[in-house]
Amino acid sequence: MYLLNAPFNSQLEVVKINTDEKTKNRLQNIGVIAGCKLVLMQSNFGDVIVKVRDCRLAMNKDVARRIEVERAITQAEEKVNEDSFGR
Amino acid sequence: MKIALAGNPNCGKTTLFNALTGATAHVGNWAGVTVEKLQGVYKDRKSGIAFDIVDLPGIYSLSPYTPEEIISRNYILSHDADVVLNVVDATNLERNLYLTTQLLETDMPVVVALNMEDSLEKEGKSIDVELLSQKLGVPVVSISALKQKGLKELMRTIKEQEGKERKAVSFITRGVLKDTVDEVFVLLNDDKDGLFDSIKLVEGDKLTKEKYKNLVDDIEQIKSKNKTVLEKYKGDYEACVADCRYRYINEHLSNLVTFVSPQPELSKSDKIDKVLTHKFWGIPIFLLIILAVFHITFSENFLYLSIVIPDGSFKDAGKVASLFVDTEYETDGESNISGANSIKSPGVFLQGLVEEFADLVNAPRVVEESVNENGEAVTVVTEEGGWIPRLLKNAPAWAQGIICNGILSGVFGVISFLPQILVLFLFLTILEDTGYMARVAFIMDRAFRKIGLSGKSFMPLLMCFGCAVPGIMATRTIENDKERRATILLAPFFSCGAKSPIWFAFAAVLASTVGWNPEFTVFGVYLVGIAVAVIAALIIKKLSGQKGVTPFIMELPTYHAPQFKSVSVHIWQKLKHFLFRAGTIIAASTVVIWFLLNFSFSFKMVGEEESILATVGGWFEWLFVPLGFGNWKFIVASVTGLIAKEEVISSIEVLAGSVEALITESGVSTAGIFAYMAFNLLTIPCMATVGAAAAEFGSAKKTVGALAFWLVTSYVVAFIINTVGSYWWTAFIFAFIIAAIMVIAHFVEKKKHIDTLRREAAEEMVKNTDKAEEAQND
Repeated sequence: MYLLNAPFNSQLEVVKINTDEKTKNRLQNIGVIAGCKLVLMQSNFGDVIVKVRDCRLAMNKDVARRIEVERAITQAEEKVNEDSFGR
Repeated sequence: MKIALAGNPNCGKTTLFNALTGATAHVGNWAGVTVEKLQGVYKDRKSGIAFDIVDLPGIYSLSPYTPEEIISRNYILSHDADVVLNVVDATNLERNLYLTTQLLETDMPVVVALNMEDSLEKEGKSIDVELLSQKLGVPVVSISALKQKGLKELMRTIKEQEGKERKAVSFITRGVLKDTVDEVFVLLNDDKDGLFDSIKLVEGDKLTKEKYKNLVDDIEQIKSKNKTVLEKYKGDYEACVADCRYRYINEHLSNLVTFVSPQPELSKSDKIDKVLTHKFWGIPIFLLIILAVFHITFSENFLYLSIVIPDGSFKDAGKVASLFVDTEYETDGESNISGANSIKSPGVFLQGLVEEFADLVNAPRVVEESVNENGEAVTVVTEEGGWIPRLLKNAPAWAQGIICNGILSGVFGVISFLPQILVLFLFLTILEDTGYMARVAFIMDRAFRKIGLSGKSFMPLLMCFGCAVPGIMATRTIENDKERRATILLAPFFSCGAKSPIWFAFAAVLASTVGWNPEFTVFGVYLVGIAVAVIAALIIKKLSGQKGVTPFIMELPTYHAPQFKSVSVHIWQKLKHFLFRAGTIIAASTVVIWFLLNFSFSFKMVGEEESILATVGGWFEWLFVPLGFGNWKFIVASVTGLIAKEEVISSIEVLAGSVEALITESGVSTAGIFAYMAFNLLTIPCMATVGAAAAEFGSAKKTVGALAFWLVTSYVVAFIINTVGSYWWTAFIFAFIIAAIMVIAHFVEKKKHIDTLRREAAEEMVKNTDKAEEAQND
């Protein structure tokens, strides 16, 4: 799934960034790289605000739809999974 | 000793710089680019410590992609400074340390200032400074630039570094890249900053590759041996290096932050953002805020208090009180009084104050000839005039003229906007300082993208409704050069405060002659400006052949209360800048125009009717006949508008007596009048604006191009308005022509786009062949 249609307020993990090199580098410098965790805070018609490494980033739709993410399993969820598995 | 400040944008670097250098700071530009260069001096008499301080532009990394990064990097690697002071935002440690890890790879001595300890405390967190210092291998000092805490200790620590050398360290060489970096490092045989360069070479950094052209092949070979990177990162070394950095920071450094108190799910800043950047409420809230700012700056009726204050309350107010309140009223002769019941807004009050001062200094001396009882002609001084005219009363007429009517009235004319510009700037700086402006750029981005600009152009253009000078200065925040230039080109189309007297004067005449509602006339002028700006932006977008607008990625700093010191330093810098220009360029150009308006070609002082400007204006009358106002007085008035736009009206008053008289005398049509208004709105703006634009363009060629653009746009639009106003059916022809231009521009854009695609494809092919050859050789 892409950041554009990701769920709000849940831990996401960046899988892949499909932008051009320059944008990719800018994202990388500001803290967004494959494997990093982020939270989608707000989406205004596709323009998004995300929380990455304790800072808030705004990106427009064009960037948001090129960042591939997946739901990250939070520690709390991991614990729940373990518990249910244990039973 | 010289220290260079390096750090992320919004890390409090400039606050620290201002706290350290105070009034010694001066602003310049880095050679060849329009990136601000701040330099200053720190001095402490007690300890005898003195430093030169250079504030490097805010950067996230030392990669070679933006001018700011290249400047900072070249400066640090030049070893011109003795110590790099890396300012780190403690509330955002992980991201900030990304730059630190790169700085540590150079051979420069580094001191880390852990800024915002106060905010960190407020967030209920703390950082183990000692351990951080140990792990980084450089001194770390905890400070608060805002509260000016820890600065002395920081300076002492830096002093201790004097003469010391530091060996470069890297944290990324411990993982998958260890062997690769080591091998490249050996190739560079102990060059200065060798570690930094070898890591950059591994990354594939284009600037470093140029430096070591002859080694590029060897390095590629070393890189191709690293199977882990090839598999895991698909050969993307840049991503691999970044990943290693973040991984190290994550595992070893950012866990030095401990939580003293439980963390709320949403911080205060996030909660404010939920409202201020809301999908639907964001824009209305912003409009309200901006309306309030404009109201405080420009309104004659502060807070609309006239609703509750009875009419005529202030009609007998004294001279001092009249600075604050409106004393003018209308009366029907009986006891009905209207008006004189509003309070002036702070901006208008301050402007009145400056005008009052201007009058005190430079009010014209009025002398009338009359006849006394004995039938003898005598001169009677009816107005004593200001200090300067009184002082010069016995001087020759040309000297009086050049000083009082030339220099002083021109300079005061410009300075009289100063209070309003400053008040406007004060509020906008406060909004910027709190972090709200970044949000505004975000919420306006979507609309602006459609006309080829980004959200970052919005605020500067909005400021132009007040005054284009601060508006153009504010374009600095737009990182893309093309977008910045386009924004500056559009700036004058947003009718500024100084132009409004023109609209009011003509609207009043149109109301009495053809019965147009004056408010709609003025509103119409503003709309023409906006419409032209949109069309021009679209055409510029198409012709520039840019594939898309630069992607919008922006950090939203945490909201904080505006800081008196940083706001006042900012305002003071703008004020200095403005006064400097008023005293130089503007004064000089005023003298020139005054001379042209008062002397004939034989260098005799004459009335304005026979002046050089009038004669030359006469030659160009034919040029303006198609626009509907082919009369030299209109033309000369427009030219004097270059000093300051309200000069247009005062010139018309001097040349023809009144606006109404000029219209009757020249027989200009209603369409011609509106065309004249549009012409003045869109044409070359005042000298102050041209100066600001020239400073931002940084090139004479581009400035001349801009002047031509404004002149052509105003001419064409005035022509269209006059023609359509005279023959309504021509509207269809113009609509067709504009549509045709758009279509042509569209094809030009497409062609350029295809050309770029082709070029890229060709480059790609060359690359692939190279790779294939390499594979064969292997």
